[in-house]
Amino acid sequence: MTVDDVLPAKVVQPKSAEELSEFLSTEKGAIVPIGAGTQASFGNPLRRADCAVDLKSLSRITEYVPADLTIHVEAGVTLEQVEHTLLENNQFLPLDPWNGPTATMGGIAAANSQGPFRAVGTIRDWVIGMKVVEIDGRISKAGGRVVKNVTGYDLQKLYTGSLGTLAIITEISLKLRAKFARTATAIARFADVQSAAACIAVIRKSPLQPVSCEWFGPDNEVWLRFGEDPRAVDWQLKNLPAADWKVVEGPDEIAAWERLRSKFLALGPIVLRVIGLPTLVREIIEEYRPAAWVAHALNGIVLMQIESGTEVSRVRSKYRAVIEKAPLAVRREVATFGLNDSEYDLMKRMKHAFDPEGRLNPGRHVDGERNL
Amino acid sequence: MNREVIARLRQVLEPPDVVEDETELLVYECDGLPLFKNRPDVVVFPRTTEQVAQVVRIANEFRIPFLPRGAGTGLSGGALAVEGGIVIELQPMNRILSIDVENRIAVVQPGVVNLHISQAAAPHGLYYAPDPSSQMSCSIGGNVAENSGGPHCLKYGMTTNHILAIEAVTATGEIIRLGNAAGEPIGMDLLGAIVGSEGTFAIVTEITIRLLPKPQAVKTLLAAFHSVEKCSQTVSDVIAAGIVPAALEMVDAKTIEAVEASVYKAGYPRDAVAALLIEVDGFREGLEETSSAIVEICRRNEAYDIRVAKDDDERAKLWLGRKGAFGAMGRLAPDMITMDAVIPRTRLPEVLVAIDRMSERYGLGVANVFHAGDGNLHPLILFDSRYPDQVDKIFAMSEDIMKLCVDVGGSLSGEHGIGYEKKDFMDLVFSDSELGTMMRVKQFFNPDGLLNPNKIFPSRRGCTEIGKHSTTSTAEIGKRVEAVLLGTPQTRSASAIARSLNEKVQH
Repeated sequence: MTVDDVLPAKVVQPKSAEELSEFLSTEKGAIVPIGAGTQASFGNPLRRADCAVDLKSLSRITEYVPADLTIHVEAGVTLEQVEHTLLENNQFLPLDPWNGPTATMGGIAAANSQGPFRAVGTIRDWVIGMKVVEIDGRISKAGGRVVKNVTGYDLQKLYTGSLGTLAIITEISLKLRAKFARTATAIARFADVQSAAACIAVIRKSPLQPVSCEWFGPDNEVWLRFGEDPRAVDWQLKNLPAADWKVVEGPDEIAAWERLRSKFLALGPIVLRVIGLPTLVREIIEEYRPAAWVAHALNGIVLMQIESGTEVSRVRSKYRAVIEKAPLAVRREVATFGLNDSEYDLMKRMKHAFDPEGRLNPGRHVDGERNL
Repeated sequence: MNREVIARLRQVLEPPDVVEDETELLVYECDGLPLFKNRPDVVVFPRTTEQVAQVVRIANEFRIPFLPRGAGTGLSGGALAVEGGIVIELQPMNRILSIDVENRIAVVQPGVVNLHISQAAAPHGLYYAPDPSSQMSCSIGGNVAENSGGPHCLKYGMTTNHILAIEAVTATGEIIRLGNAAGEPIGMDLLGAIVGSEGTFAIVTEITIRLLPKPQAVKTLLAAFHSVEKCSQTVSDVIAAGIVPAALEMVDAKTIEAVEASVYKAGYPRDAVAALLIEVDGFREGLEETSSAIVEICRRNEAYDIRVAKDDDERAKLWLGRKGAFGAMGRLAPDMITMDAVIPRTRLPEVLVAIDRMSERYGLGVANVFHAGDGNLHPLILFDSRYPDQVDKIFAMSEDIMKLCVDVGGSLSGEHGIGYEKKDFMDLVFSDSELGTMMRVKQFFNPDGLLNPNKIFPSRRGCTEIGKHSTTSTAEIGKRVEAVLLGTPQTRSASAIARSLNEKVQH
């Protein structure tokens, strides 16, 4: 298996954190942890790897306690597996990464993968604890197994989004929520950016509380998902701003969101995540006129297709922006995260504190951010 | 305190903002946990971020320990001054800098009182969700440091879920900014690590927070039970029914006794063994039905008295008893300590029974008033500090409670933090190796350990009794513990630490 054109000389497939710990305590080379590979085109390019740690055998759901609304899973467990398990108790995790349910939980956490449920949070809001193996083989945990906990430092936050460069996540504890008693999605197409933006502005000021609010362009479709008590969903559907809404529910709704996901996957080859504010979404789209985009409109985030790496710096002169996905050649030229100086310095030192020899996923995160 | 330090502090701050008068300092010798006291040498009142940074740089230059402090309402001794040093009191930085109604965010200074944010946002139909019981006086900076909770965290999450960005002064006096107003994490989440670090990573000087739209409607009800088991079962059944209450609080007979005898009298049924205060909020449509479903679940579990508040006045009254419970305990005993622990909610009945037995064994009264929905216990241990043996019993009993909660899969603190109070219990939950990882991150943020020393990490029981009659300086002990935790696995054992400390003590 290659990552960013790097072919590790060997692959190990540990069956437990202990096995991984034992391996890492003697291994001296560079390590690349691998999940389902759904985020391979996200992040700065891997520089080298002597050994791949394939986490697919860490595939057990170690404990699921429906009455406590918690689940504890090994890192290689896929979102699909988790969703399937939760279904029998009408529970769920509001996570729907664009790259789909075959992503592993470890991978979703490491890459902080998101999707339309961004409106109700990201994985950091659901993780209550983590077990990791550090580069020297030390096994450590952070957080715990209970839904509310302030015991010790929240190191699971550090590992979330660090792309496996601080430690290898081997187990995650998550809190869950009850499945929405009903969901329904309203979709409307608008003539232009202005009218779509006007509709979203009305929604933003209204009492409506969609659990997803996506603005897909260039078709200027607004997608609103409501999830709540059935009566509250009804009320919200009745109080939509004037537009030609098409409401879908049940299997049609699931199919519709699958279509939006395919539309996202068709963006590219370069997609930039531009971070603004809800009131700036229209301005971002109008200023950069992307050929296609999906905006988490209520979060102020625009995922937009751009044509070349040079455009990234143009956007970054005004907004924070992360390269969501790009071919290797582009990622070699342009830093993925666009960190400012104080973040860069802090993160670089943090990386050093966990991995002084830079052997864990070298180059993927902060250590690949400058002097590419 | 070195006169030169005082002179330097007076150069960067207005002279009245540097306080070293012994009687004035008395106010700062403890926070909301008066079991431990330590008077700082000097308290400073900075008005700007730059002043905070300058004070920190002076402290670094002279190697003086320092710590931030907000309203001093913390319950784990997180703002306890240690061996003198400088207390940086952030209450003067109490301005709400902006409220962005359309984007539902506010930028505030750390000294702003939690409740004042919601009051300022109220005309716009917005509020700040985390609501610790002390919200009328606690500061938002303290909330960030402690990752504070509150009854409504059950539905809305803790402080960490509402902090979008911060400006902070590092332990070495640099000013940093982390996060963004969209709350979008970029790479490793340093902001998330700082929230809840109990003032040991950085001093937060400006905070961007998320505001939420006020729910259209709220329903609050009280249900009284003749048994703790039935009451606990109701909690589980409500959750199992897929209902996400805004709050789900339990009070026991002793709490009701205290509340009903006090000015917080709320009309709770006096003969109840336990009662639940349940609140649901959200859209008006469907809320009535949800409330009825909860009433039905209560009935099925033999609740004998169920009161649904008809209006805001009745709601306020039901909450008065819950929120006033801590104050009301004065009716039962002269002193009280509020314990904080968290357990899987399914283990509630057995844990409550076990705590009851402990209460008998130690001869100390215990009242339980807590966030049942998320398993966050608050046993209030009643005692009389005039009897030293009772104080000793408190320490023993709190240790037993911690062990009990950890044994059933719980943890040491749900919302108050570890601070000074529980640091010696940390090894019930974390191995030396795990504490070593945390220590490494602490050293990263706080390389010389000057910022809020001797918190969170165990000083190893039996070796030290800081604040009572220590023979080794606390800084020295901290250094030794650090050295051992960061050392090789062979030198990391508890016995190695004990050995290392004992050697020092004998010198």
